[in-house]
Amino acid sequence: MIKLEHVSKNFGPEKKVVNDISFEVAPGETLVLLGTSGCGKTTTLRMINRLLEPGSGHIYVNGKEVRQLPPETLRRSIGYVLQNTGLFPHYTVSENIGVVPTLLKWDKARIHERTFTLMDKLRLPAADYADLYPHQLSGGQQQRVGLARALAADAPALLMDEPFGALDPLTRISVRKEFKALDEINNKTIILVTHDIEEAFELGTRICLMNEGRIQQIGAPADLLFRPANDFVRSFLNPQRLQLELKALAIKDLWTWLPAHTSTSNTVPLTAESTCWEALETLTSSPATVVYQQEQKVIDGNGLMAAIAACKK
Amino acid sequence: METPETFLDFIQQQSGKLLEQTLTHTGLTFISVLLAVAIGVPAGILITRRKRLSVWVLGFAGVMQTIPSIALLGFMIPLLGIGPKPAIVALFLYALLPIIRNTFTGINGVDPSVTEAATGMGLSRRQLLYKVQLPLALPVIMAGIRTATVINVGVATLAAYIAAGGLGEFIFGGIALNNTHMMLAGAIPAALLAILFDWLLSLLQNINVRKARKMLYLLPVILLGLSSFYLLPNTYHSKMLAGFTPEFMGRKDGYLGLKSVYGLRIPTLVISDMIMYKAAYEKKLDVISGSSTDGRVKAFDLMVLEDDKHIFPPYYAAPIVRNETLQQYPELEPALNRLSGTINDSIMTELNYHVDYLKENPEKVAKDFLVAQKLWKPAGSRSKGSIRIGSKIFGDGYILANMYKMLIEGYTDLSAVTKTGLGGTKIVFDALTNNQIDMYPEYTGTGLLVILQAPQQVTDSIISDPQKVYDYVSTGFKKQYDIKWLKPIGFNNTYALMMRRADAEKLHISSISAFTHYVNQQ
Ligand SMILES: Nc1ncnc2c1ncn2[C@@H]1O[C@H](COP(=O)(O)OP(=O)(O)OP(=O)(O)O)[C@@H](O)[C@H]1O
Ligand SMILES: [Mg+2]
Repeated sequence: MIKLEHVSKNFGPEKKVVNDISFEVAPGETLVLLGTSGCGKTTTLRMINRLLEPGSGHIYVNGKEVRQLPPETLRRSIGYVLQNTGLFPHYTVSENIGVVPTLLKWDKARIHERTFTLMDKLRLPAADYADLYPHQLSGGQQQRVGLARALAADAPALLMDEPFGALDPLTRISVRKEFKALDEINNKTIILVTHDIEEAFELGTRICLMNEGRIQQIGAPADLLFRPANDFVRSFLNPQRLQLELKALAIKDLWTWLPAHTSTSNTVPLTAESTCWEALETLTSSPATVVYQQEQKVIDGNGLMAAIAACKK
Repeated sequence: METPETFLDFIQQQSGKLLEQTLTHTGLTFISVLLAVAIGVPAGILITRRKRLSVWVLGFAGVMQTIPSIALLGFMIPLLGIGPKPAIVALFLYALLPIIRNTFTGINGVDPSVTEAATGMGLSRRQLLYKVQLPLALPVIMAGIRTATVINVGVATLAAYIAAGGLGEFIFGGIALNNTHMMLAGAIPAALLAILFDWLLSLLQNINVRKARKMLYLLPVILLGLSSFYLLPNTYHSKMLAGFTPEFMGRKDGYLGLKSVYGLRIPTLVISDMIMYKAAYEKKLDVISGSSTDGRVKAFDLMVLEDDKHIFPPYYAAPIVRNETLQQYPELEPALNRLSGTINDSIMTELNYHVDYLKENPEKVAKDFLVAQKLWKPAGSRSKGSIRIGSKIFGDGYILANMYKMLIEGYTDLSAVTKTGLGGTKIVFDALTNNQIDMYPEYTGTGLLVILQAPQQVTDSIISDPQKVYDYVSTGFKKQYDIKWLKPIGFNNTYALMMRRADAEKLHISSISAFTHYVNQQ
């Protein structure tokens, strides 16, 4: 659990970089800090593990005020993924991943096992990569090592600063999928920083949209999309609105507007939890059968689009 | 002692000494580098944390670096006396800047996102330093240590001037004695040491970063090992300690003569004549090889021991001039000869006393003397040619060169420039034969033994007669070098063994024989 209460931070007398920020993130939840470059996302994150001291306000991690813990102890209980990896150039991949467990004085065998398990999960086969140095890896591989390093000690909280920032769009999508599929992240309290809207919607349980140090809106992705708190939020999301809406809406959300014909043969099954985006990908090749609340409907592309339009009215 | 024929002969004959000097040199270099690492690396680390201190610390180390090495050694003497202590401190101060600066730059050069990651993961400041900053800065720090080592191999040659030993003994002895073999026997090993150490340290520097982490702990051990050469036993059992100049150490009419003719057995240190007198006065040394007309003999109340077996040849000073120059300007010779017969031993000592001890300007002392002798005239037109007057770096030379300049400009229409401080005999004489200067004041004894290197039988037969020596060198120089000896000035600046007057009187020692008897008894 991470909680911020009225946190502010100045650099110099004029520059209020973070302005009265409050939020709470529960275990199992991922809060995405979203915003333009320079709006104070990294600064907020760095106050949580005390790389910076807040100017005012309180920060709690697992119920304890961060100022009451020795900084080293606090930091070892929070995984940290940096904007530009920050891997130790003189450590091998496996040594990099083992840094925090070593600090926590795990025994060698346990560190070894943990490192190798993580490497396999992140598709960096230990046999090939364990003894390489960071400069021998591609940017994407380095970010995976950075992620593995943050996960290694199985800390209850995870701070991630643009963990997939340096990747090309394709790789970014695949690394993101791997990340989402990790069982490691269940039950962790995660704060993830990004300025990529699509990423925020895909990974965030809730999104905290910031501008110039202030929170503009905090809520579930659909809230920001369909119930924007102000013009900034609306215009921030506009460029990708259609795609976001398709991803935010599930078939079940449109159930009442979907036509109820049952005739066509030759259909593929689709779950009601699928997003419209995923459904459209399927429907381009053939109609699909969906079952929701003991009712079965067969849908095609036109029917889905009509339902979306109806829903938005 | 026979003069060895070839360089290799010299090395063979002096191998014991060469080894000792090389080990001392290595020890001096590394003990000072070790100290500089011990102080400089922590200082460099400190100033990465207290940026405001960095200006002061780097400034201090920078200033140390700009002080000329010989001056820095000189500053050390009043504080630490002579011998290895001041030499090590001076070398340490020289090594400091590259080590502090490279530690500072090395640590500051570590990628900030790496330090941020380390801190963010929960490394303490200490762990950050040892696990991240130092290993990553190590190549840069090692480069600093390399620079410091190479600098120190060079500067350590000067340690010979303050009785700390090292290869400088051969180098400066060789220069003073015009003995190329001896000079090279010091210079070549010194150069090789610099190359060797630089190479060894470069191996350490370029080693794989992974092993470098362990190397960090190995380094002090290696340095300590090399430093230990200096800790070789230095056993002096005698109550008397002699300090001789590098030149005196290698001369037949110096230490070699003392050994063979008088049978003197005494522990010796090699030391620069610039600090020798003061060291004797301060009881750091008991007997020194001075020159009889030196002003400091008077200043420090030393007593010259009588050379009762006549090993020190006459050293009458006279200007020596290129014949070519004399023919071009016939008016030159009479002008120079005006000084002849005006300065005896005690006057020269007095003049030197004014310069060496009262720190008066040699030019002023020269003028005052000429005015008192009614020899001074205002400069003439200076319209003809220019005469270049050289001198060695000792007091006599400075004063005489200035007198000659005034005489030339006063009594002829020539102008004159002085090029004083041309080092020892070899440098100034080479300058003369290579037409870099036209004249300089030289001593008959030096001409005989150092420049002409007269055969033993000749030396033995004429050495006790100053006139015969003068005639011999006059003929020899004319024949070999086309250089003319003008009339002697009058004083005899011979080598002399001297000790504190109070001690000499207490022990009833007045001659070298008596001194030898006293020392050898112990
Ligand atoms: N140490 C510092 N001293 C002064 N100003 C700082 C410091 N760190 C950050 N800032 C300023 O604070 C503001 C917010 O910086 P921050 O790094 O939090 O931005 P960000 O939201 O993470 O941006 P980005 O998406 O580009 O990473 C910026 O204007 C930055 O210039
Ligand atoms: Mg940032």
